[in-house]
Amino acid sequence: MFVSITTIIPEIWLLVAAVALLMLGVCYKGVNFSVMILGAFIALVIAVILQIIWFPKTQELAFHGMFITKSGIAVTKIVCMSAAAFCLWMSGAYFRLSATLARFELPVLIILAVLGMNLMLSANHLISFYVSIELQSLALYVLAAFYRDNLRSTEAGLKYFALGALSSGLLLYGSSLLYGFTGSASFTAISQYMAMQQELPVGVVVALVFMLCGMVFKISAVPFHMWTPDVYQGAPTPVTAFFTTAPKLASLTLLLRLIIELFPAIQESWKQIFWIVSVGSMMVGAFAGLRQQNIKRLLAYSSIGHIGYALISLVVGGTGAINSLLLYMVIYLIMSLGVFACILAVTIHPERPDTLTDLSGLAKTNPLIAFCMAILMLSMAGIPPLVGFWGKFYVFIAAVQQQYYILPIIGVLSSVVAAFYYLKVIKVMYFDDQLIQSSLKTSSQATLLAVISTITVIVLFIYPDLLINPLQQAAASLTLR
Amino acid sequence: MTIQEIAFYIFSSVAIIASLMVVSARNPVHSVLFLIVVFFNAAGLFLLAGAEFLALILLIVYVGAVAVLFLFVVMMMDINFATIRQGFVRYFPFAGLVGLILLAEIIFAITSIPDVGGRATLGGVAHPIPDPQQVSNAHALGRILYTDYFYVFQLAGIVLLVAMIGAIVLTLRERPGSKHQNIGRQSYRSSSDTLQLIQDKPSGQGVHNG
Amino acid sequence: MAEFLSEYLWPLVLLILQVVAIIVALLIAVAYLTYAERKVLAAIQLRRGPNVVGPFGLLQPFADGLKLLTKETIIPTVANKVIFITAPILTFGLSLAAWAVIPVNDGWVMADINVGILYLFAISSLGVYGIIMAGWASNSKYPFLGALRSAAQMVSYEVSIGLVLITVLLCVGSLNLSDIVRAQQGLWFVLPLFPMFVVFFISALAETNRTPFDLPEAEAELVAGFFSEYSSMSFAMFYLAEYANMILMSTLMSILFLGGWLPPLNIAPFTDIPGPIWLGLKVACILFCFIWIRATFPRYRYDQLMRLGWKVFLPFSLFWVVLTAGVLLYAGWLPGQS
Repeated sequence: MFVSITTIIPEIWLLVAAVALLMLGVCYKGVNFSVMILGAFIALVIAVILQIIWFPKTQELAFHGMFITKSGIAVTKIVCMSAAAFCLWMSGAYFRLSATLARFELPVLIILAVLGMNLMLSANHLISFYVSIELQSLALYVLAAFYRDNLRSTEAGLKYFALGALSSGLLLYGSSLLYGFTGSASFTAISQYMAMQQELPVGVVVALVFMLCGMVFKISAVPFHMWTPDVYQGAPTPVTAFFTTAPKLASLTLLLRLIIELFPAIQESWKQIFWIVSVGSMMVGAFAGLRQQNIKRLLAYSSIGHIGYALISLVVGGTGAINSLLLYMVIYLIMSLGVFACILAVTIHPERPDTLTDLSGLAKTNPLIAFCMAILMLSMAGIPPLVGFWGKFYVFIAAVQQQYYILPIIGVLSSVVAAFYYLKVIKVMYFDDQLIQSSLKTSSQATLLAVISTITVIVLFIYPDLLINPLQQAAASLTLR
Repeated sequence: MTIQEIAFYIFSSVAIIASLMVVSARNPVHSVLFLIVVFFNAAGLFLLAGAEFLALILLIVYVGAVAVLFLFVVMMMDINFATIRQGFVRYFPFAGLVGLILLAEIIFAITSIPDVGGRATLGGVAHPIPDPQQVSNAHALGRILYTDYFYVFQLAGIVLLVAMIGAIVLTLRERPGSKHQNIGRQSYRSSSDTLQLIQDKPSGQGVHNG
Repeated sequence: MAEFLSEYLWPLVLLILQVVAIIVALLIAVAYLTYAERKVLAAIQLRRGPNVVGPFGLLQPFADGLKLLTKETIIPTVANKVIFITAPILTFGLSLAAWAVIPVNDGWVMADINVGILYLFAISSLGVYGIIMAGWASNSKYPFLGALRSAAQMVSYEVSIGLVLITVLLCVGSLNLSDIVRAQQGLWFVLPLFPMFVVFFISALAETNRTPFDLPEAEAELVAGFFSEYSSMSFAMFYLAEYANMILMSTLMSILFLGGWLPPLNIAPFTDIPGPIWLGLKVACILFCFIWIRATFPRYRYDQLMRLGWKVFLPFSLFWVVLTAGVLLYAGWLPGQS
């Protein structure tokens, strides 16, 4: 089988760049941390450009059918890589705050995690599926514990690792059952088998349940969300920003591919599961977030809630719903990057700001950041003149069109509840007295990104087609078996 | 009953008993030692299946390296088992229920296995297992590992690289006091670099006089 | 009944006879290795060595053995008894089990399995358990420290041993020990792979806990390391196993690099001497080097030992694996490639 190298060229480039940066860091002890961050940023940008240049027009396979790429996958990869690049861009100042944080392995690990995401998006075989998920997760575990002199961070890493290992075990167990019941580990062969069979063995459903448990853990949806607040709180802030963006989208898209390509025949089974997961995530995200005082924990619950909204589209199914899912996730990524950019812009200590009170009076000390944060919070809540509204709107519309009524109703109600804590952040910034004397020194990169993100949130509300049209083709190719 | 069958039953029953001991032993070191027994018997089962390469790799990798490090860690830890087992009685009913449900599910699933003939026609099995009499294990594995499974083989290598970076990032600390021998530097040292002949003043003049 | 006899009983009897033959030969070899060690050390240190029991002290090893046999086995009260007793038995048993696959001449081997080299590697990597178990079960500080040292040490040096084995396997194309010897008909591997031979030799010293890597028993720091608490026969088993392992490693080295039973030159006066004698001579030469090194080198510091294993041997042997594979591929000398 002839394999064109351009099919996998962004991944090869990422690997080469990661190893090159690693060698640079190991061989020249004195290399400046900013240089490493810049190098990793450039590497990711080049990878995005490579992916755009060699954009797959049709479905392309490589390595004996173990690697697959098509336009939907490529679009997701581009979004993931860009999100990772922005995270790196805004994190430089944070990591320079402490000598134990400014180590050259950080950008290398981020690139390797992105490599893992790209490969898992392109997995077309149970083994490559599992190994690439492990590649991504392993890099993320280390990143969570990166601030190793901090008790919270090591706890986060350990917790993430222990629970992640459990979820990988479930995933592996489900995969082995699937292999056992279908006789093949290749996605292509499995879906052929599923299509041929009149009546599927019960074992396939058991396999589905195990694999879904593993994947639901990776996207941190209810009931496997327990780790999220602890890990998000403990991990260094830019790492948390990274966690809420690229890995979420990659895992969700992989989950989408998994159920659409492997289990179309038993969609009644997984629709029930996702119904429960979606409702649970929306409720937990809304209600558990109310009590939170810690900013990162609050954002963790917010991300659980957002995953719940995105999963509504998965229950609904069909090209239109998948389009709204991708749209929702991309909008969430933009908002989340913006919120974390705001936090990083006013970060003066690796553990500050920590609680909401640390942000009090921000409107007076740093009006620009406070304004951006307020806009992004309103957008997260889904309030109309901002793009967050379109995300929820399209998800609910797609559900209503397919005669699903309960899910959108719960969604609207829980977003009303969640709006409380988004507004609370604004209240703290604008109406509370300043408690802590914060310095005016801010990170210029993070501020820039916060402003860009805020402008994007406003502009995209006026021209949502800028986002919808490119994602349409991607959604169509992802729903294609 | 052939010798092979007797051996199979011995290996598998010892493996099951030992794995029960792994979870029930009071002393964690004993648990690890029983785990090693399980590995040994699994290797024996591999041997019976004609997979001698896998059997020995299992011994080398798991028993020879992984379990040694397990044992190393477990021996160093001072675990008080009474505290670990505190919640046992409290959580047992729930855990037992989950276990029973899982067991029922698995039994349900296994009984639904379709006949093998139906699956074999799928064409999913790209490589029928070669006859062990004709091709040795190592050759057979090598032939597919570096061709069909080249991609995942490389991926596994990258995973190990990440694990290695992670271990170093999280644990390596510079120790400024540690001294190393540099043989090259020692050999290149010549007496003229270190020895210096100081023409001393005649005795009786003292050192402070100029 | 006759079928049972011919099918099961005779092979079994034959097998037991083979096992007994190997064990007896091995124990005698071990006995005289201890004697040789004392004599060689004495000669190097300008002493006489054992010379009282028997002519030239030749019966000394047996006298020592009898002494240990008649002594009382002491088991410390705080020791974990089962593991304490299992440890020396395991160590000794493993050192014997390895000999099943060693070919002493063309076709003279008990089990001619086609993964022989892996079997040996597995057995040698299991040797560490005896030490760890002994150190832990003694429930005493020095043995425990010795056990910890040895666990890390042996795992580290197995890595480079494994890579050395891979370079040899690349040149042979088989995991069978007899095939490895036959592949050296024209040229012993010690010539093209000399650096690997050196790496293997040094790693074998570490693997058998010999000077300068005898940290697990370092008598100056840890009394006697992992076997401080052992006495009489339980001690003797460790002692026997240590020397049996030395002989095993030397034999392995002869097979991998020095052509096993093959004569140095394939011409008349050499080929008349039977293979096992050639093998014995080669093993004796390597064992002499073991003892020579013991008399010459001081002990390594622990971190230096780790540094040597991970930072010197591992990259170096990895480089040689790549180099060997590259040369073989480039020159078209890969076995099985035609």
